[in-house]
Amino acid sequence: MSGDSLVLPLSRLGSRACEVSTLYRELREPLLRYLVCLGLSSDEAQDVVQDTFLSLHRHLASGGPQDNIRGWVFRVAHNQARNRQGSYHRRFGEPLDVEDNAIVDQNTPEHVVLEKEKLRRLDKALDRLSTSERECLLMRAAGLRYREIGQALGIPVSTVGDTVERAIRKLTETFHV
Amino acid sequence: MCEYSRKLIAWLDRELADDEMTDVQRHLGECFACRTRLAKYEQVSKALDSYCAAVVEANVHTRRPSWVPTLSLVAAAAVASAFAIVLLRPHKEQPVSVRPVVAAQPVVVPEATRAPGKVANRQRSRPRAAAQTVNWQPAEPVIQVAIPAESMFPPGAIPEGVSFTADVSFGPDGSAQQIRLRPRLIGFERRTTQP
Repeated sequence: MSGDSLVLPLSRLGSRACEVSTLYRELREPLLRYLVCLGLSSDEAQDVVQDTFLSLHRHLASGGPQDNIRGWVFRVAHNQARNRQGSYHRRFGEPLDVEDNAIVDQNTPEHVVLEKEKLRRLDKALDRLSTSERECLLMRAAGLRYREIGQALGIPVSTVGDTVERAIRKLTETFHV
Repeated sequence: MCEYSRKLIAWLDRELADDEMTDVQRHLGECFACRTRLAKYEQVSKALDSYCAAVVEANVHTRRPSWVPTLSLVAAAAVASAFAIVLLRPHKEQPVSVRPVVAAQPVVVPEATRAPGKVANRQRSRPRAAAQTVNWQPAEPVIQVAIPAESMFPPGAIPEGVSFTADVSFGPDGSAQQIRLRPRLIGFERRTTQP
């Protein structure tokens, strides 16, 4: 976001403030989660989120289309992540370092160990998926509808359905649940 | 494999048309194999949610040192004092001695041009050429803090969630000499070092 200064006209900012704020509150965490899971570092993900919402503000201020705006936001963020090829997919293939406090149910130390092992197996299983399968799954995990995933990735909704279905089946087979 | 098996995940995600949702629901009541398969898909979906949460936890929250918020508060208090000094001091003409080098578009507010009130309007009405002739060459020491937008602009002028990072440079006598404002989104302030 470096180099961005406040150049939007004040009169237009006020009317869009609520809209952007609502979307920001709703999508900030899912976006951050998607980008970090995609392989960006936390700093990179934070930069992408900031740039994305500034783009959203300009988009709305300039009267851009507002249908499927969640898909639009994810598409902008996704494309920015792709532009950072140096780190994109970097984390996949690296061992997942799971913190103890990342395990929700910490009843017993044995349970924590098992959960960690499960997450590592899932990490490996995700690594074996194709890029589009992984992206569809991660967007689904971020709470996007198929229509929104299609908009974000630029693919038909039916393709999203097929890809998600195939990816879940592959995970189920390799994850051995 | 049951003909309904390919619809189970879309059913789970509520992505089918109403009549298909009903149809699959009815089928699940009759087909043990599909119920078993659906349970596995649900399990994988939940594991994926846990996985995403764990990855974020490992990459985001543990990397922010606990002393950063404290430091931010201290720095915010310092910059608030700097603002008070700058805004309340009597206006007097002083030559701006710094020279330009920066290509970006920071809002640079030299002390000599500042006067109480209408901060936002002045920043926007300032000719770009004039802004670029004033260069950002921070004198030591420099602090960098985030300031809530609502403390500087009228209500509604700036979208909620946007704050500003202020880079303040001080002169030898301790007075604030320059303030550079950069928009940031609240919740994602990063510790940065001055270039």
